Amino acid sequence: MKRIIATYIKEWHLMRRDLGGLALLFLMPVLLIVIMALVQDAPFRDYKDHVFNAVFVDLDKGKTAASIKEGLLESKQFNLIEHHENKAIDIATTKELIQKGTYQFAIIIPDGVSAEVVNSANLIANEMGRQMGLPASLPHRETRKGKSVQLMFDPVSKPTFRLAITNVVEKFITRIQSEIVLERIAKLSQKEIADTSTFDIEKQLHVVGVKEISSQERKDVLNGMNSVQHNVPAWAIFGMFFMIIIISESIIGERLGGSWTRLKLIPGSFSDILVGKMCFYVVLGVIQFYLMLLVGIYLMPFIGLPSLQPGHAPFLLLILVSCISCCATTFGILIGTIFKTSNQALPVAAISVVILSAIGGVWVPVEVLPDSLKTVSLISPMRWGLAGINNLLLRESSWRDIIEPCGVLLGGTLITMILSWWIEKKRMSQ
Amino acid sequence: MVCVQHLFKQYRNADTPSVDDLSFSFEKGKIVGLLGPNGAGKTTTISILCGLIGEYNGTVNVLGFDVKSHNCELKKKIGVVPQQIALYQNLSCRENLFYFGKLYNLSGNTLSKKVDELMHQFGLYEHADKQIKNFSGGMKRRANIIASLLNSPTILILDEPTAGVDVQSRSMILSFLREYNQSGHSIIYTSHLLDEAEALCDDVLIIDAGKKIIQGQPLTIIAENNTASLEELFLKLTGNKVRD
Repeated sequence: MKRIIATYIKEWHLMRRDLGGLALLFLMPVLLIVIMALVQDAPFRDYKDHVFNAVFVDLDKGKTAASIKEGLLESKQFNLIEHHENKAIDIATTKELIQKGTYQFAIIIPDGVSAEVVNSANLIANEMGRQMGLPASLPHRETRKGKSVQLMFDPVSKPTFRLAITNVVEKFITRIQSEIVLERIAKLSQKEIADTSTFDIEKQLHVVGVKEISSQERKDVLNGMNSVQHNVPAWAIFGMFFMIIIISESIIGERLGGSWTRLKLIPGSFSDILVGKMCFYVVLGVIQFYLMLLVGIYLMPFIGLPSLQPGHAPFLLLILVSCISCCATTFGILIGTIFKTSNQALPVAAISVVILSAIGGVWVPVEVLPDSLKTVSLISPMRWGLAGINNLLLRESSWRDIIEPCGVLLGGTLITMILSWWIEKKRMSQ
Repeated sequence: MVCVQHLFKQYRNADTPSVDDLSFSFEKGKIVGLLGPNGAGKTTTISILCGLIGEYNGTVNVLGFDVKSHNCELKKKIGVVPQQIALYQNLSCRENLFYFGKLYNLSGNTLSKKVDELMHQFGLYEHADKQIKNFSGGMKRRANIIASLLNSPTILILDEPTAGVDVQSRSMILSFLREYNQSGHSIIYTSHLLDEAEALCDDVLIIDAGKKIIQGQPLTIIAENNTASLEELFLKLTGNKVRD
């Protein structure tokens, strides 16, 4: 134990004098967390939070176009652009503006849409009236023309964005059509219902709606992912794994500097020295993670982002973070053991951390990765660490939920330790 | 004290063995010089003697311990001064010595007293809290020796302890080695400074290409080979060809 503590203290003295290493350990993850949370804030937000500038071209000039326009403006999600350089926007200008990327999309109401909607409503009302035994018949054409409200999107806009906008516009059209149908039925029965204060069509149409409910029992548990909730733990884990650069550098430095040789000349188990070294970096990794958590909780609101919800299982979180730190530390020891010089080790360490983070769901959640990468991601300790942390921070998890990630991380720790020991033994016997 | 028989060591991927059927022995309480040109096998031999290299053929017995089977017991009784400055450059001299002392299971006053005493003896007490990286070459060499004396070794093995140091540091190191030897300790050391070895050693062993060339008391082997100095004898036996 004395030897383990001595090594721990030695590592502390070395680290406190290595300002570059300390900056790499603490400032780099803070920068990553802040920048990535800001960058990824928009994609994590729902489209309902945005106000879109949309070109609106009304070739119909009828009631339907007016209703669509009114509905879009009422929703406060759309800022409709109908003029460009003091001229009414036509189809050619619309194409040009969208192609240039000046606006992300355009809503074009073609000529005859209102007539077609009214004709369609009259047809429906007549059919309903016939079935109810009403004698009157509203004017209509039997031949129905297919008319569409057209949406023109910037070529670079994402499919999810196109889908969201299409859904919103479709919703308005359906509502307008329903209103016209009701109005036609009223006309058929010679009654006015639109202005009655006791009959709210909008409310009636939404009697059976769609409502999101939480699967969580606790009211104070965050229900849903946001940029901070993803990026803070993800980049904190990335920072812990970036520690492998410092650990491998330390081991290679000791080996090349000769102190590694001296350590091996001292009687007693060499594993005491390795354990002392490991303990120091494991604790350092845990401290680093919790500091990043504090950044997420207290700094993020200052830059206009939501505060991190730290979950309700601090003890389980500590166990999980310790397992992640163990895995990162022994990975660093392995890199430092495999490579003979820093020039060999540093690029491998840096690139491997970036690759493991990419497949481990640090950059984007694992759920959105292709299936092939999802399978590959199982080898990334960051994936397991992040999955465990998401369980603790976003779900009402118990200790059972961290058994799997902790088991995998400790398994990885054991494998890297055994590999390091085997490589060092091979080197000694050369 | 040291008995080596038919020692053979060839590193993986090496074309020739580093040590090839080497046999020698030394008595207790002597200063022995292990000499040879570059690549002769001196460092490999020393690494085997102190248990750093465990894979070799032949038998090696130091202080009555078989090096392979009693590695740990042996390490308690030997001190090794590596050729490199085997210290943490960013730690102070005191921090380095305390760390290595604790690894030898020393602690408290015993360790503190030992460290202070050795730093005084080697003229480093005033610089105890300076980081090793700020030491001169000679100071680093002296600190490197101190770190190997913390366990009060019965036998001290030094690999070129005076390489690259100034005259004053060299004189201090050699004086210490004589004193240490006079207090009953054995010393094995390697050096390329043959006049130094001639003056210091009771016995020398010259090896080349991993094989023993000659062994004996410096003055005796110089006379037996009709040479004027150890350096002349060395060149006579190992040739003038420059080694890589």
